[in-house]
Amino acid sequence: MVKISVLQHDPSRHLATRPGDPTPISRNLNPNMHPFARARERTRAVNAAKLDRLFARPFVDALEGHVDAVEVLAKQPDSLSTVASGSWDGGLIVHNLPQRSRILHVPQAHKGKVSGLCFAENSRLLSCGVDRNVKLWNFDSQNDEPVNVFPGKAAFNSIDHQRSSQLFATASNLVQIWDETKSAPISNLTLPTSTETVSSVRFNLSETSILASIGSDRSFTLYDIRTGKAERRVIMQMRSNALAWSPTLPTSLLLASEDHNLYTFDIRHLNAPNQIYKAHVAAVMSCDWSPTGTEFVSGGWDRTVRIWQTGQGHSPEVYHTKRMQRVTSTLFTTDARFVLSGSDDGNVRIWKAKASERLGIVTARERAAIEYRQSLVDRWKMDKEVGRIARQRHLPKPVYTAGKLKNTMLEARRVKEERRRKHTRAGESKPTAERKKVVITEQS
Amino acid sequence: MDALIAKGNAVHPLSHKNSKKPQKETDNTLSSIVKNTSLPKSFQSLKHKASSNNAHNHIANKKLRTQLNRTSEHIATSKALLQDAEMLLLEDSGQMQLEDEMERTWRVGQSEISGSVGQEAARGRKEWKLEGGPYRSRYTRNGRHLGIVGKMGHVATFDWQTGQLHTELQLGETCRDFTFLHDHSHFAVAQKKYVFIYDRDGVELHCLKAHIDPTRLEFLPYHWLLASVGNPGYLKYQDTSTGQLVSSHRTKLGSCTTMAQNPFNAVIHLGHTNGVVTLWTPNMPDPAVRLLAHVGPVSCVSVDSDVTTNGGGGGGGRYMATAGKDGTVKVWDCRNWKGCVREWVVRGTGDPEVEWSQRGFLAVASGGGVNVYTKPTLVEPHHNPRITTTHQPPLYLTHPLPHRPLTSLRFCPFQDILTIGHARGLSSILVPGAGEPNFDSGEADPFEGKKGRREREVRGLLDKANACTCTGSCPSFFVLRSSFFIQPDMITLDPSSIGTLAPPSKLTTTTSVTAVSSELNSAALGSAKSDIPYARLPRYERLRVSGKVDEEDDDEEDEDHDGDGGGRKGNGNGKKEDREEREKRKMRGKGKSLKRYLRKQRKNVVDPAAVSASLGFGFLFCFFPESSPGPGLPSRLLSFLAIRKKLEKQKEERRIEKMVAIGRIEGERKPSALDRFKRGIRRGIEAKTKKVEG
Repeated sequence: MVKISVLQHDPSRHLATRPGDPTPISRNLNPNMHPFARARERTRAVNAAKLDRLFARPFVDALEGHVDAVEVLAKQPDSLSTVASGSWDGGLIVHNLPQRSRILHVPQAHKGKVSGLCFAENSRLLSCGVDRNVKLWNFDSQNDEPVNVFPGKAAFNSIDHQRSSQLFATASNLVQIWDETKSAPISNLTLPTSTETVSSVRFNLSETSILASIGSDRSFTLYDIRTGKAERRVIMQMRSNALAWSPTLPTSLLLASEDHNLYTFDIRHLNAPNQIYKAHVAAVMSCDWSPTGTEFVSGGWDRTVRIWQTGQGHSPEVYHTKRMQRVTSTLFTTDARFVLSGSDDGNVRIWKAKASERLGIVTARERAAIEYRQSLVDRWKMDKEVGRIARQRHLPKPVYTAGKLKNTMLEARRVKEERRRKHTRAGESKPTAERKKVVITEQS
Repeated sequence: MDALIAKGNAVHPLSHKNSKKPQKETDNTLSSIVKNTSLPKSFQSLKHKASSNNAHNHIANKKLRTQLNRTSEHIATSKALLQDAEMLLLEDSGQMQLEDEMERTWRVGQSEISGSVGQEAARGRKEWKLEGGPYRSRYTRNGRHLGIVGKMGHVATFDWQTGQLHTELQLGETCRDFTFLHDHSHFAVAQKKYVFIYDRDGVELHCLKAHIDPTRLEFLPYHWLLASVGNPGYLKYQDTSTGQLVSSHRTKLGSCTTMAQNPFNAVIHLGHTNGVVTLWTPNMPDPAVRLLAHVGPVSCVSVDSDVTTNGGGGGGGRYMATAGKDGTVKVWDCRNWKGCVREWVVRGTGDPEVEWSQRGFLAVASGGGVNVYTKPTLVEPHHNPRITTTHQPPLYLTHPLPHRPLTSLRFCPFQDILTIGHARGLSSILVPGAGEPNFDSGEADPFEGKKGRREREVRGLLDKANACTCTGSCPSFFVLRSSFFIQPDMITLDPSSIGTLAPPSKLTTTTSVTAVSSELNSAALGSAKSDIPYARLPRYERLRVSGKVDEEDDDEEDEDHDGDGGGRKGNGNGKKEDREEREKRKMRGKGKSLKRYLRKQRKNVVDPAAVSASLGFGFLFCFFPESSPGPGLPSRLLSFLAIRKKLEKQKEERRIEKMVAIGRIEGERKPSALDRFKRGIRRGIEAKTKKVEG
């Protein structure tokens, strides 16, 4: 007797039991059931890359109010919304980002430009200017008068407040440590031989007594305020314009350099940077880490804002608009979703950190689709077409030509070096790694 | 400061962790609890299953290496998980189980099958008695809808499970074939003069006047191409999403009445009246494969649509079955066209028809009945190698039909049903085990509703409607033609070529020096080292790479070199090329100034290629550039002789070495007095002296 069975599909297993229920899905992952899976996935990846570029509308808003160029931006560390900006005409504005409103607006906070801003605890704000004053403001009280004024001896260039304490540091021709309750600086920090102008100063975020400064003599210096002296000094090829400590890796430091590059240093090994970030075509004027520590933003003299992934030294995301002038200050907001740039045209601009991110509520299905598209592009980025679409950025013509010119010049330099080496005795000069060229000397 | 550094050191970067010696495999905590607990499969570490990371150790770039390692690990993990996913395939295929050795499945008739499988399953056994000539039929890809067409113009489409009729047309002219487009909402009919497209309700939407006198239709579902072939012998591809005629190929083989598609790579198989089977892709004007399959006309072609086993080129579709009017059925292996895997002669008159099912069952209709054969025996040669032609493989099922001729066979996807079209209508029989039990609702869902159909249509268009170019390491017959529509360009014999590495560019950046040396050293050394970035090449090379250099002089020089080098190039790849070159050279004037100049340049050069070529190897290079002819002559001769001597010596040495290796000659010499200083002997002596001392 032959046992016979014939294939039957049970409709109850494949049909929705009640109207409105989702239709049950059955899967068979056998690759033969999915012909052209790769080709179709590639097509989907191309579409995903195109959609990503289609939705890339990074510009959110411009905050107006400054009469002159915006010099400095600062974020309140424990708030998602509060940001302060200071400009060349001495104006000072505290913005509320989500409402696009001004919490505090002082048209003449300083005589001359406001050169440094930082938040203290309890909604207070410290500003310093070239008028040799540090002013302490309370922006909750709707009062245009400063709470306190700390007079200094030289024009200040930068200010930074230690987190969760009364201390702050200023940079002028020397680094000074101040107490909020005292009107004179507690201590002066300087390297005995230096005659520099200190252009920026920042406290380490985790080891709060460590202080880093950069100066006009192409140096950056590390201080310990407990010992009250400079610990290390590194002389570089070109001067740095801004610095930032990593919020997640305490030993990591980011420098925005005049030579169009950004450098991250591990302060345990100061003889060479651990990564060079190359894309700007003019001096980098400012930099700021994302609170996640995985990316950072930089603004440059080339009128662009660039967003970098840590460890990837090339092809950053680049933002520009027609009316944005030299970017003097940039900022990552504390929720890591937005980027702020202050530029010579007097506007503070808000950008999305991810150019094609959708603001507003995203449903779970939409989120899943977005994530799938992202992973597709990521998987197929080596494909010629997908990679081209995902990588290509339109640049303003001056930036593009400047980049080309720069590339030509660097290439010529490299070729020349190579030829010189070829025509000297073998082994006389060895090629130096690009990273090793940056630091001239390390002093301690 | 130190505190910061200490803090920094406490948090090791990942790279430091990796550089430490590998940690112990066994985790004490884990092994203590593992007896009483079990992790879900998805949480278990699959690292031991993953391929070892040694594969990328040669890559210097750490970041890239890490990334590649991670990717390969991920692939291995997902492969392992894929095996687990087979457990989720719930439905079982149909089967006929024998309990006695003497029983045979082919003895079981349809009445017995339909009687024993239950009322619901027996609904698949049907007889449609219809007027209007031999019928052909076609199922949609999900197997839910059936379309039939009679020779006299009767067309009907219906949902065969619910019995719901979509449309019924009496077209009143000869209809030769029928196919659904992407789903049951559109179908195409090959009518007397043209191909017509109708929608589900039978409204005529399009008349495709480019397809003249069509006989067979196929729809390539992933490319949205409607392919037709007709009596004029033209194969035409029409894009049904845009309406464009993508390509039309002249087969040059006259009227064609058989066509099949390979569902795994969308290649069209045509069978011709002279017994030739040709394989076509839309991007090539010539067939990819021409195969003389039968001595008479080919009556039917079918490509294996077996989804259960892995076929050639990474997908299914490994076998092809052809039936000829000479009364033979042949099964071919699509990876190797040298000869058929199996052939047999069918009984009865009339044109045999063949059709593969989803699980690799082959139905053959001939004369007065249908036979079904199954896979392992079907594609293996007969166990007795001398018997080749007449013996058919073991039969699985047979079903006699009185209504001749039998014109079409179709297996229903995801069902155990075979529908046979014949002169008196259609009859469908049950073939247990023919259909794939587990469908994937992402591809084809028999139970999809109205919304699902719409979604699938849009998704299918999105996956198709995009410009794509193939970066394939495909066979040489694959030609990219930019004038064509782009998506059909992806149709190749090997669909898995997409996403693989592109072939190396013809624009080499190797300098001429390295090129020559690498050419001479053959491919053994490889040219990986000689890739110099474009920017650092000398100017001439840069121009050459970018195609701006005038290469004529260069070629001439090369040719000369070739001539002197005794055909250095033309060892392996074609005498034909050489001959052409030679003829070309003959035609050229001998007294050209450049040639004269070059000849002069070579006057004092002992060309090692010439020397070594006469001796049989071309690996040694010595150039003796000597300017003065007078005193140079004897020295040149000497050096020439010296080279010759040296080469001969080397040759002799090599010969002896080879003989020693083979064992013809013993490599040992006579024992000499110095042998006592050799190791073993000295040890013996030492032992002796020790003994003496003891």
